[in-house]
Amino acid sequence: MSEAADEAAGAEEAAAGEMAAEEPVVVAEEVVKRYFDGGRRVLAIDGVSLEVAAGELVVLMGPSGSGKTTLLGLLGGLITPTKGDVKVAGRSVVHMRDHHRTAWRRRHVGVVFQELMLVPGMSLLENVLLPLAPLGGAGKDEVARAEALLARFGLGDERDARVRRLSGGERQRGALARALVLEPNVLLLDEPTAHVDAENAEAMLELIAEETARGRAVIASTHDPRLAEDARVSRVVRVEAGKLA
Amino acid sequence: MSEPVGGWRRQRALLDYALGSLRRRGRRNGAMVVALMVVVGVYASVLFLSESLRHEWEQTLEATPDLVVQRMVAGRPTTIEAGALEAVVPTDAPGVRRAWARTWGYLFVEAIGANLTVIGAGPGERAFARSLVGEPLPAEEGEVPFCLVGDALAERLAVRPGDRLAIPDARQETRVLEVAGVFDAASALHVADVMVVREATARELLALPAGQATDLAVELARPEEAPVVAAGIRERMPDARVIDRRALVRTYELTFDGRSGLLGALLVPCLAALFLLAWDRLTGLGDAERREIGVLKAIGWETRDVIAARLWESALVAIAGAWLGVLLAYGYVFGLGAPGLAGALFGWSALHPELALTPVIDATQAWTLVGLVVLPFVGVAVVPAWRAATLDPDEAMR
Repeated sequence: MSEAADEAAGAEEAAAGEMAAEEPVVVAEEVVKRYFDGGRRVLAIDGVSLEVAAGELVVLMGPSGSGKTTLLGLLGGLITPTKGDVKVAGRSVVHMRDHHRTAWRRRHVGVVFQELMLVPGMSLLENVLLPLAPLGGAGKDEVARAEALLARFGLGDERDARVRRLSGGERQRGALARALVLEPNVLLLDEPTAHVDAENAEAMLELIAEETARGRAVIASTHDPRLAEDARVSRVVRVEAGKLA
Repeated sequence: MSEPVGGWRRQRALLDYALGSLRRRGRRNGAMVVALMVVVGVYASVLFLSESLRHEWEQTLEATPDLVVQRMVAGRPTTIEAGALEAVVPTDAPGVRRAWARTWGYLFVEAIGANLTVIGAGPGERAFARSLVGEPLPAEEGEVPFCLVGDALAERLAVRPGDRLAIPDARQETRVLEVAGVFDAASALHVADVMVVREATARELLALPAGQATDLAVELARPEEAPVVAAGIRERMPDARVIDRRALVRTYELTFDGRSGLLGALLVPCLAALFLLAWDRLTGLGDAERREIGVLKAIGWETRDVIAARLWESALVAIAGAWLGVLLAYGYVFGLGAPGLAGALFGWSALHPELALTPVIDATQAWTLVGLVVLPFVGVAVVPAWRAATLDPDEAMR
């Protein structure tokens, strides 16, 4: 598809997004995910249906290997389901072509990975601005927004620091800033408190709650009870053996 | 936020990312640049050297008469009666523009360990001698016979115009010559060891008896008639060997094409080894790179963005390596005189004084060489990135 056609599709999609404001931002319908692991067929997710509305903070809780990270990937369009459908901001991301799905995800979904996944040789600011490269790079406005995010997350002085010099908590908040730089409707967090101490976990939770209050749909997978029991969480969804308990 | 933007802004942003990747993987990319530089440098050296020698020989052959007639005794060339010229090559023979007897030969000067080519500037050589110095030969013989020498020879003999030069003749008797001029021709090979003197001086230096000439030179109205004229000469002089300039051209071309081709063929394993190394290093994406691609996909990079960034990165490495190799070859061939490699292309013939090659580059060949290196290299680097980028981000990150 040409750039112009992409742009037209973008406008249509934006309209669809607005129309869908009253509807759940993320909808999973009978989603199944199977994959092969060393020749063995694994059923990772088995017929899960879930809806998440704007302004909700939903926690996927379950033991290791229960399928919560896979479910998180499916809900954000990072993983293609074997069966079922996933709608993000009113559109099915399952039946989109790869580049449309990627563009849709860029527009509507921010992700913070368990392993943080910042690029080590780059500065923190460069990492935060990385999602902007396919859009032609960062202009003054985008840089200002990224700097404001870093300042809000207590990283204003670390903007030029290389990632490997940052602490675990700082990396966590940096990854969150990167996920938010394009102002997505949906924020996916994989084990957001796994690699940080209690103080940093509380700071992270506070930031997540702020984003929820701003109207984003936030979905976090965790096996940390602190997060699941927090009063700011809207709903806890238990995942066991690929199913919702 | 505005969605997709024009191609150039996007490419510039991806190029910025690629430059950052080059820095981050500096050691690996640096090793690739060096490896490419060495292989391209060796190939380009052979290319430059053979092109330069071809140019030298073309220059040399331009100054060569259409036909040269030598008298053969016991299978070897010997002197020829200058008086036989009219009988062997009649001036009214069909196709012959002019013919003349030449006085020239080699003189070994032990002090510099070099063979000089002494040319007697007779009527036929005056134009040649004039072309070297750009002015007529001195009109009158002075107190001391004059000579003209090439700049390389002048340097070797440590003489300048106006200096006197004492060299032994063929009978090892010392002769004193005055250096009347130093020529600096566009082509080094055909004048590198030349000394131009008057015909009489040449006879003395070479111990060539009066009435004898080294050979006969023939200029033709139409060079394509050379076989017919040569046949007539052989009829009139059965012990003659007639050398056709066009045959020399073919011989030199075959010689240098063959030698450079052989050297090129010997280098094929080097190139193959390099590509195997590149394939090994680039196709097996490391875990970190694979995860980086997964992250890029997850944060909104499309497959084409990942491929474009990778393409920029590998193209920069390949172009830098290839052009550094070309520059390295230029310095090695034209700056240093291609030590080691020149011997393989020159063959048995050692040139003294040292031959300074005139820089001649076939731009098409240079671009072709760069293209032949850059395109496969970029392909080798992009394919694995494409394979990783077409996976779900989650799979790429595992």
